[in-house]
Parts: sequence; structure tokens; C-alpha cells
Amino acid sequence: MQPILKIDLSTGATEEYRIPKKWEQEYLGGASLAARLLYGALSPALDPLSPAAPLLILTGPLSGTSGPAVGRFVVCGKSPATGLWAESNAGGFWGPELRKAGYDGLWITGKAAGPVYLHLADGRLVVREAAHLWGQDTYQIQESIKTEIGQRGARVLGIGPAGENGILFAGLFCDHGRAAGRTGLGAVMGAKNLKAIAVQGHGKIPLADPEKFAGLRSAANRALKNDSMTSVLHDLGSAGAADYFDYLGEMPKKYFSAGVLEGSEKITGASVAETILVGKKACHACVIACGRVVDLGDGEKRKGPEYETLVGFGPNLGITDTHVITRLGELCDRYGVDIISMSGTIGLAFRLFELGVISRDDTGGLALTWGNAAAAEQLVRQTVRREGFGELLALGSRALGRHFGAEDEAVQVNGLEAAYHDPRGASGMALVYATSPRGACHNQSDYFLTEIGQADGSLGMAFYDRHAGAEKAANVARHQDWRTVDNALVLCLFANVPPGTVLGLINAACGLDWTVDDMLRSGERAWNLKRAINNRLGLTRANDKLPKAFLEPLPDGGAAGYVIPFDEMLSAYYTARGWDPETGRPTKDKLLALGLDDVAADLWE
Amino acid sequence: MSAVFPSPEWLKALEGKLNTDEQYARIAKNWEGDLVFQIEPEGNLKERVIFYLDLWHGKCRGTEVWDEIADKTPAFILKASYGNFARILKGELDPMQAMLTRKLGVKGNMAVMMRSVPTVLDFVRCARDITNEIV
Repeated sequence: MQPILKIDLSTGATEEYRIPKKWEQEYLGGASLAARLLYGALSPALDPLSPAAPLLILTGPLSGTSGPAVGRFVVCGKSPATGLWAESNAGGFWGPELRKAGYDGLWITGKAAGPVYLHLADGRLVVREAAHLWGQDTYQIQESIKTEIGQRGARVLGIGPAGENGILFAGLFCDHGRAAGRTGLGAVMGAKNLKAIAVQGHGKIPLADPEKFAGLRSAANRALKNDSMTSVLHDLGSAGAADYFDYLGEMPKKYFSAGVLEGSEKITGASVAETILVGKKACHACVIACGRVVDLGDGEKRKGPEYETLVGFGPNLGITDTHVITRLGELCDRYGVDIISMSGTIGLAFRLFELGVISRDDTGGLALTWGNAAAAEQLVRQTVRREGFGELLALGSRALGRHFGAEDEAVQVNGLEAAYHDPRGASGMALVYATSPRGACHNQSDYFLTEIGQADGSLGMAFYDRHAGAEKAANVARHQDWRTVDNALVLCLFANVPPGTVLGLINAACGLDWTVDDMLRSGERAWNLKRAINNRLGLTRANDKLPKAFLEPLPDGGAAGYVIPFDEMLSAYYTARGWDPETGRPTKDKLLALGLDDVAADLWE
Repeated sequence: MSAVFPSPEWLKALEGKLNTDEQYARIAKNWEGDLVFQIEPEGNLKERVIFYLDLWHGKCRGTEVWDEIADKTPAFILKASYGNFARILKGELDPMQAMLTRKLGVKGNMAVMMRSVPTVLDFVRCARDITNEIV
């Protein structure tokens, strides 16, 4: 692998860090390697918004190659929203460009005296003053910085006003709306006075066996192009299966309180394709091209909504107008806030208004009724500016609920708002949300796809009914291990690449001779390491819980009446994982079996 | 009427079922598009079988057994191994799952297909109803 560039923004000092060979082989890269590198640095006393807090951006060993859907990179640290492990990845072209510039990652600490941005070109780093860029949105800085450095081909990753203002769910954005949105790492970047990072390079992506890799990646891309899921994603975008999710009762409505919403059939990938779609966009070297380009009738081509945006600003708020949803999504992208957390927090506000917990007196006169898109837009603006009622929303749904004595109404886990896959429609997501190292997240395991059949036998996985209970716990754990491998690589989860193919690519890229079991063991090791990081930050079994809404049956729709047998599922999950039911920690034996001797000593001695 | 899958009698039985089933007529009332099942040999099925169905507004306007698709242009071609078609008919594999997970290939307008989940599922219900044996 190439080195990681360490940058101390307080002093301006830089250092090339060579990753120990053992860690390269055990963790591959991406989020797994980040967990290993940051394990010792993430303490309970560390303020995520302090200069000492790390912001670690990593690629993986396949990033920037011509392999299948390998354009992503990941940002890691300690979350200001959850106080736990933070991890969020993004697509586009920035990650591949970083590798071409000579580094596999950037490890940023410190705080600049004033606003700055970084310009890394073929191994040479320049810190540039950015006071004149402070306040620009994430689309504007792309153009401003490319113009300023005179390099149209540069790739820019940056924060918007949300990150500058310390919004706890601010993200990092590149390539016009490609977001590392979750867990608030944009606020960490803003606290360092770091507005953006521009990268450009002409280097070659290192591969252990380029010839072997070339053959494998060609075959993998051909197979991926012919895959059914690829067809759905290409034609209809990430919301391609939304009709089916709606049918199953998995698509949330009215902040997870309803199973049916009139007009929800208009909020799907198919609907977008039939009405406003005018083009498609792909990340680096991707044959899927799930990105949407839409025209709302004003002649301007803009980013179209993906699934989480369509649902979060759609049925979640009782809105069924794709034009409105598209504009709300763009507003969030430009401000640099995570759409799931923003729409989820607004959803809670709407729900509290419906329940009579809050009134116009609390909202500055806004009537937060289902379908009120104008109010939703006002709340986004107020939140980012920390104005009025937005000051409370800026803290996220858990804090908002707590403020009004209704924390249990917030649909979140450990401070991270749930993604828009209701576990009452796909019960495996209950375990995914409750045990994910970063909160209620769907990217540590997109088990909702396993629930509709994407269960690969070569991983030792089986297919269980979407409403099965404890019997699927080990299956969920196995899927988490598999997706942890993907998040180490950093491979796009939309790419339905068979595990055996991924294994071949890993071996060719890294010079390994792994089996599928070796690959899954790498994922399991990193999953347990992230768990241990969170244990050291104070997480116990009591944190492995679901919000009240998920434990109650839906009144109607495709999942009506179903109650998740959560306690039994969690107990079975602990057994499958080898975790201690008293403390919520991986047992000493489990840690030692995974080669995490130092972690075992920290947790148990 | 019931029949052995995949035989011409089975296809005719399905046509009859689709034209007499009130639930299907109601759910599929907006469906417009002919389709082809391309059943690839596997196990007991030694040769490829191609079934054509002309489906329109909750009715089946006709069926045919084809030797090949050649230059014909049905709105949808659904292609799978005999084993996966059989699993769908036995209720072991959900047709939407099959479409989304490589088990059932789809050529045609995916937007129409994804917007027609209830129609797809009810069509399969009818097919299961008339199947009493799978070769």
C-alpha cells in the first residue's frame, strides 16, 4: 500500500506514515484499517470537536482501479453526534484521485488558526487560506477551488455551512452531492477550520499482480453489468426497489407511525424515471450508474434524489411530490448536512406536533403538519443557521426528544437517526440497527436486501423469512462481517459482486492467498474491534436497543401487526457473536481467537 | 384445471385461469405488455422451453409456445433456469426476490415491472394454482 499522509493543522507539520504490513494484511484498508489505526486515540475524554480529535480519510486496496464499483473512500473518527465510533463513506471520484496523488489516506489532526483548505497534487501538499470560501456551499466550493488552483481536473472534498456551524450531523461532500453524510464528521472537519481538500494526481494505482487483477476485474465488470440488480439500479436508481419495499411495509411513512400513505406510489425510482429523469451519473469506473440527473421543468439539470432522500423528505414527512423532495435534498447537499439525520429529526418534530407534545409556540409559528413541505424547508434552513427552533434540531433527534421529555419517540439508536428501512418489514434490520458500531445505520449491513433474497450461500448464509426471529441472528452477524469487508475495500454495496469474485480481486490486488473464510475473518475481526472501541467509549449491552416505534406494530400496510421478537433475537445474536451478555463486550476468548490480544488485555485485564 | 409444468397444457391452463380469475382481473387491470418465459434446461428439463403470453388489462389475450425468440420483441423476457422457475411455482422463491437477485433475468422496462409488484405476485398466484406437477 501507499503511505498515509499525516497532517497537523495546528503546526503545519506533515509526516508520511507507513502502515505496518501485519495491519495491511489483517484489515485490508478503509474503515477496518481506520479502526485499527484509531483504536488507541479514541478515548472517552476526547472531544470530537477539539484539535486533538483525528479525522482519518482512507481508501482501500481496490480504490481507483478499474474494478467493479471501487470509487469510494471512507472518513472515520469519533462522532460528535453519538460519542462513539464514526464512519461514513462516499462515492464519486475523490478517493481514486487521492490514490493517484500518491497517498492511500489522510490523517488530519490539530486546528488551523483560521479557515484553510488543502491542495494535494502528486505528493505535494499546500495549505491555502480559505477565509474567502467560508460560508460557501458544497457545490460552490467545487468551482471556487478548481478555479483558484487552476486545475479543472482536481477533485474537491469539503464542508458546507453546516460543518462550519458545528451541526452534529454535518457531512463531507464531493463531486456535487456525493456525501459522507453520517455521524457528523463534517462538524469535526469544520472544528479544525478545514473547509476543503483538493486532490489531483497522475500516479499509478499499486497492485500486487496487475495482470491477474486485470482479467478478474474485466470479468467482474461484465458480470456486474448483466446482473438483475444492476439493471434495476441503472434504470431506476437506488430507489429502484422502492415499490417492493412499500409493498412489504418496509418504507416508512409519517415518521414510522403509518404503514400506508396515499400517493406513496409516486415516490419511487420508477416514478422518478417516468417523470423527471433526464440522465444518469456514475462514480469512478462504475458500470451501474445509479446517480440520477433530473429536470424539474426549469431547464436546469440537477442531482436527482436517491432512496433515502425520496423517503426521508417524502413519505416520512407525508410529502408525495418528487419536485419538492428533489429541492429539499439539494438544499441539504449544498448546506452539507446528512439527509437521513436531517429529515429524521424533522420527522420527529412533525410527530411531536401531531402528538401535541409541541405546538406553534415551540416552532416559531410553524405548523408542522404532515405534507407541509414549506415548513420542512424552513426547518432545514433554521437548523443549519442555528436559528429559532432550528437550534434544537441542530442537536439531532435524540436531544430534540429529550428536550421535550419525549426521547423515546425519537427513532434513533445511540444518537444516530435510523435509515429508511423499517425493521418491521424486514426483521433482520432490527439487529443491524441495534448493534451497528455507528448507530441505526443501514450501511454496516444492508440486510434488507438479504431479506428479499440476496443471501449468498458461499458466505455460509441462508435465506430466512423476512419476519423470522432469533433463527436469523447468526445470518445477520455473518452479513455484517461480509459488509465489513466491503467497507474495508471500500466497495459500493450496490455492486452485487459475488464473494468469490471479490476474494479473487483482493488476492490479486494485495498479494494474498486468502480463502472465503480468511476474508470473512478479516471482517469479523474489524467488527469486533469497532465494538471494542465503542466499549471503551462507554457502550454496553444496554445500548443495543431499538426505539419505541420499532417495537410496536404498524397499524396497516405490508407489515401490519408484526411485532419484532427483539429480546430473543438479541440474545441469539450475542451467542452467535461470542459476546458477553453482561457487559456487551466481545469475550476474551473471542478477541484472542481473532488475534486482538491487545484489545483483550484492555477490555478484560 | 391443472397441469404439468412446463407443458403446452400448462400454458393453456394458465391462460384460462388468468381469464377467469376475478382477483387477477382487478389487480392487473392496468397491466399492458406481452411477455415471454424463457426456461433454460436443468435437471429433468432437457431442452429450452419458451412460453409467450399476451397480457392486457387483467386478461390474457393469447398464449403460444415458441421455438425461439429470434426477432420477436415482447415487452418483457423473463429468463431463468428450470430449477428457479420450479422454485417460484412451488412457493419456495418469491418472484420479486428472484428478479432482484440474479435468479430471474428480466429484459424490458424495469420501471413498469417494479411498479407492478401486486400484479407480478398475483400472476404467480394464478400460475401456482394451476400447477399440479412439475416435471
